[in-house]
Amino acid sequence: MKSRLIMTAVAASVLVAGCATKKGFEQPGYAFGCPIGEQKVGSMDDLVRAKTATEGRRTTIQATEMRCSRAGDLLKVDANLNNDSSSVKRVSYKFRWIDREGMRAWEEESWKPLMLYNNSNMMISTVAPTPKAVDFRLVLMSQE
Amino acid sequence: MKKTFLLVAVAALAGGCAHEKTSYGDARGVETVTNTFGSTDLQLIAETMARSMQNAPVIISGNLPIVTVQEVKNKTSEYIDTRAITDSIRAELQKGGRVRFAVDAPGMTQQTDEIKRQQSEYYAKESAVEKGQMVGAQYRMEGNITSIVKEVKSTKDVYYKFNLQLWNIRNGLLEWSDEKEIRKTTTR
Repeated sequence: MKSRLIMTAVAASVLVAGCATKKGFEQPGYAFGCPIGEQKVGSMDDLVRAKTATEGRRTTIQATEMRCSRAGDLLKVDANLNNDSSSVKRVSYKFRWIDREGMRAWEEESWKPLMLYNNSNMMISTVAPTPKAVDFRLVLMSQE
Repeated sequence: MKKTFLLVAVAALAGGCAHEKTSYGDARGVETVTNTFGSTDLQLIAETMARSMQNAPVIISGNLPIVTVQEVKNKTSEYIDTRAITDSIRAELQKGGRVRFAVDAPGMTQQTDEIKRQQSEYYAKESAVEKGQMVGAQYRMEGNITSIVKEVKSTKDVYYKFNLQLWNIRNGLLEWSDEKEIRKTTTR
């Protein structure tokens, strides 16, 4: 009886510790390593929605995942783009860098053309051009 | 006579109607007019190389390392102004504030000419620069661009590979290197 109680207590503490690791991992103002400020981001979909914009012709290519980390004092961003259609799609993208005051931290980047095979994913990676860039937006435009 | 006059009038009218239209475009937009080396290729290469280089351990750990830009060899079959590529890379790195640039070989004549000019009798000695004060670079940046072109009846495929290297001048070690590949296909 006593050993069963101890076992239950150990299992519960392991479970709690596991949950604490998952929930307590992020520092406030960040989600999946990416800066979110005071926005409410409860899931990856929320984060992707908050950080992605479309300009010009709309594209069916969608960002599905985003993760950020630091490379020294620079913000590093990985974004997964998904083409779930049955045809090859062409899209261009650029990152917009934002400073602590919400102003542009860097000049407008050039559009980068990309080809995605049908039913495929592609990971795009970038590093902020300056330590002043503390936030970003991924901008997509169709090249069809 | 009347017929000729009418023809000339119609031709003049048609000529007048065919007017040109000029408009400004996005200098950073994707350019796909032809598949020769274009502005998008230049911007892609410059941005990728500059971002990669400023994350190189030697740049991060160095205290504003001094770099000199050497030649990027054009090994493609077309004319490419490789100086425009290195100028863009240099501008992006300079703006990033992690690297300083020393005068390069093509700029050396202008630099020494200016020093000589300031040392002439026309300048006040106290404000004129002295000889022997220039700072030598610790690293040199060089690279090359190659291409493979394949063409059949209605399809032309061009593959570009740009390679950039950062060499330590003192010990001859390669401190950083990166590549950017671009493929463009045109079908008629």
